[in-house]
Amino acid sequence: MLNDIKILMKSLSDIDVRIMLCKSAFEWELLAKKYNALRDEIEAFCASGLPEDVSSALDKTRASLVQKKGELPPLDLSDFFK
Amino acid sequence: MGLIKNIGNAVKNEVRDYLLKIVEAEKEAPKQPEENVQKNAETKVEKSVPKVEEAPIIKDEKVQPEPVEEVEEVREKPRKKEIYPIANDLEFIRFSYKKNQDGVMIPKDLAELIKMLPLEEYACFVKLYCFALEQRKNYGYWGGTLKRRIGLDQLTTAEFEELGNNLMAYGLLLLEKLTENQKTFVLYVPFDEDTMVKLSTAKQPAKQPEKPAPKKAEKPAPKAAKPKPEPEEEETQHAEDIPGKPVEGMENDEMYKSYKTFVSLEIDKAKMRVGRANFDKIYMEAVKYIDKKYGFKVLSDSDKFKEYLTNYYISAFDIPTFENWKKSKG
Repeated sequence: MLNDIKILMKSLSDIDVRIMLCKSAFEWELLAKKYNALRDEIEAFCASGLPEDVSSALDKTRASLVQKKGELPPLDLSDFFK
Repeated sequence: MGLIKNIGNAVKNEVRDYLLKIVEAEKEAPKQPEENVQKNAETKVEKSVPKVEEAPIIKDEKVQPEPVEEVEEVREKPRKKEIYPIANDLEFIRFSYKKNQDGVMIPKDLAELIKMLPLEEYACFVKLYCFALEQRKNYGYWGGTLKRRIGLDQLTTAEFEELGNNLMAYGLLLLEKLTENQKTFVLYVPFDEDTMVKLSTAKQPAKQPEKPAPKKAEKPAPKAAKPKPEPEEEETQHAEDIPGKPVEGMENDEMYKSYKTFVSLEIDKAKMRVGRANFDKIYMEAVKYIDKKYGFKVLSDSDKFKEYLTNYYISAFDIPTFENWKKSKG
């Protein structure tokens, strides 16, 4: 159990590192998908409730993802208006 | 080569002289304080009672400032206790300026009112007023971003909140709670039909019980005389002002297609108007807002994000909503 959560946390920190290196909206979307999947996996794994450190780590990654999305060039909406 | 050697020698000499000066200065420096201390000690011994030693004098000097600090703290506290409004029954109208203003002109009536404010609240009000002129509307979100944009970064969130609450108590600002973490503000500015476009009237909150209210109770008639929008109408108007509100009822017809083109053009115009850097900041705010309000899943869903982002821009750049645009088209 401890090992499993360690592996999941390792994947989360991998995402953290890749967020820092992310330079395009496409990369960001891939990372966001990974994060969502990982979050679901962790939540399923800790069905009885997320430990505080895991929860704060997830929140931190989410915050960095949001920050990175805001820092990337604004999304081009021209397709949306066609 | 000779020239280079000469320059090298000259530099060496300069550096040597400089170092010698520094060494001499360091040797002299410690002597001076010792001499001063000795002189002071001598004069004190001569003037004061012979019992007094140097150490207790220093202790006494250190102890002295503490009561002064206490006095300062005591002085600051009463300021926060009671605030009486400097203006009652002001009408808080959400408006946008028709065009960019050349300078910062404070109407005489408003200047008369705000000169009664304490320094901090006065500064905050003027900063908000300048901000309103800059963004061409007198309302928006209240929070950290606003604090930063009006140049009050040095204040803590609590201090800024307190300033807002004080201004509200003085009756010159209206703060409305949207969610637990989000507030909007409406700054009181006298409405001028020539330069402003009225968007909606903000609701006054229920008056605080501590304030003396006999005069207010006597004045229901003039309030009723004003053409007040009906509550439902007011609520819808208010809802329209919330940035990021999803636009509903957009049918997939020709009208909607031309509206989309119109919005696209307006966003492009706004991008040009605010400049690249500011647009990036607005985008950043939009991302944070959408994440907070609709959750991360929306943020990571490209199509939904585009939809919410468009709605945010519609609100942020005062682009008419589909309904309003349809009405204006007739």
